[in-house]
Amino acid sequence: MRQLLLTRLANLAVLLVALTTLLFFLLRATADQAAMLAGVDATPEQVAEIRAQYGLDRPLWRQYADYMAGLATLDFGESLVSGKPALADVVERLPWTLLLAALAMTLTIVLAIPIGAWLGSAQGRPGPARRAASAVVFVLQGMPGFVVALLLIEIFAVELRWLPFIGNEGLDTWIMPTVTLASFLVPRLARVVAANVAGALAEDYVRTARAAGASAREILYRHALPNALLGATALVGTQFAFLLSGSVITESIFAWPGVGSLLVRATQNADFAVVQAVAIVIAILVFTVNAGADLAFKALDPRLRERRS
Amino acid sequence: MATVTPTAAPAATRLGPLFAGREFLWGALAVLLVLLVAIVGPWLAQDPAATTLDRRLLPPFSDGHWLGTDALGRDLWARIVTGLEWSIAVAVASTAIAALIGTVLALLAAERAGPVRTLVLQTVDAFLSFPGLVVAIAVIATVGHGYLPLVLTLGGLSWPVFARVIYAEASSLMQRDYVLAARLAGSSRTRILAGHVLPGVAPTLLVMLAFHLADMLVAESALSFLGLGAPLGEPSLGNMLAESRQYLYVAPWLMFVPACAIVLVVVSANLLGDGLTERLRGRARRAP
Repeated sequence: MRQLLLTRLANLAVLLVALTTLLFFLLRATADQAAMLAGVDATPEQVAEIRAQYGLDRPLWRQYADYMAGLATLDFGESLVSGKPALADVVERLPWTLLLAALAMTLTIVLAIPIGAWLGSAQGRPGPARRAASAVVFVLQGMPGFVVALLLIEIFAVELRWLPFIGNEGLDTWIMPTVTLASFLVPRLARVVAANVAGALAEDYVRTARAAGASAREILYRHALPNALLGATALVGTQFAFLLSGSVITESIFAWPGVGSLLVRATQNADFAVVQAVAIVIAILVFTVNAGADLAFKALDPRLRERRS
Repeated sequence: MATVTPTAAPAATRLGPLFAGREFLWGALAVLLVLLVAIVGPWLAQDPAATTLDRRLLPPFSDGHWLGTDALGRDLWARIVTGLEWSIAVAVASTAIAALIGTVLALLAAERAGPVRTLVLQTVDAFLSFPGLVVAIAVIATVGHGYLPLVLTLGGLSWPVFARVIYAEASSLMQRDYVLAARLAGSSRTRILAGHVLPGVAPTLLVMLAFHLADMLVAESALSFLGLGAPLGEPSLGNMLAESRQYLYVAPWLMFVPACAIVLVVVSANLLGDGLTERLRGRARRAP
């Protein structure tokens, strides 16, 4: 366990250094930040002044060394837009992203597990209802989040006028972002649960339970499903990174004030410090969740527990 | 960019019953049709940039514009096929780059233990545990828009998806007797990898190509939707969707048409991937 966490930490460190270095040099190589900041009709003198003001006139290696030293002390530099430290901007918005992720994850679990269990319990003879549901799940899996979001907006905001377009004030504004983000994971989780339930139902212990007179319902919920959910736990952990990719899109569409929409805005403004701060905070977040999922997985599956000998 | 593992879709959720085991056939047909439209369509359609200001926001099935026109009076069908051409061109090229880098590195890593293997596996782990879109946005933000930056970014960031799966298969093939025999017979590393291991992983590679193509199309559309993909003036399925948001009240078809196009392409490619998996698994079962 300790070994695993240490390996993971080493991975994280390598990833962070590689990522920040790559981004730093890519930006310096391809864009003149001072010219961008000064605007299109600035005089060369003004550009030079801004360059000196932000320290962009120093040698590249000095900038890089200062930058890395800053990172080590959690100093990402200041946002060019808000003028505040970049990390503060990110941390301020992080709770909104976590809230949206938690809502979407909850909805995913509530929807995907029953759907998956139902689809998986066909035992090779799916009826018309299950076939139709399979087709829906299959198409939904091929539907990107922004398409889902636009369809939801068209139906519930434009046609029916039930829900507000965008924003984050009031619970009714939470519905569409949550459903959009959940739409990334529901089909995937449902398919995994279905496969695992189908697999579990073919196991010997199910046959034994059936022979002992357990009802179909009892077999599904007491014997097959708990084992199927084990694999689903692993999926939830590994798909968290995927969920965060989805939240970039979702937050931008619904003007949700999380780190995803911050990233897109910072990108459009060439706000380098914020882009980096977002990337690093997300890397640490994903690491924490993955390590947590590993631990949960170990705690839930007795076969994976280390023998104390 | 989603991470895809080419494991077979569970029997319960496959469309098998619906298509009576012909997923591969239908998937292949649909993908060929999409490719045909993307390649031939732009030649036959009207000029996608031609504006007719007296014929703006025409609904579908209008005279001369069977899918209607957008806010500048541009023909929607012409824009869809041009957008499809662009999106598919990005998806195909970035899939090819990802497959090439991923396969080569996976084979090299599988061939023997050493620093190359450690480095490749570490990089793969690190990449796959990170939200791809976030990195893609950060990189695109710095290197700029356009076809080449987009393709290089998407391909250069998604190769670990191939590397992980191909490595797992290749390293198990390396244990086989025929590889040992080839080695004893004095075959070179390149010859063993290219002549004996690569053919063995080819079926898996084929399945992954289909799924990856769909993923790259979605990634390209997502970036273009955010204004970070296709350059200004270049229609793409993603930026057409982004533009359509202003006209949801007056012209919802501007949203429905590109949305349907994206879903159609992705579902076709997924169907092909599932069908291929099923076929190849069937073949493996029959083999002794």
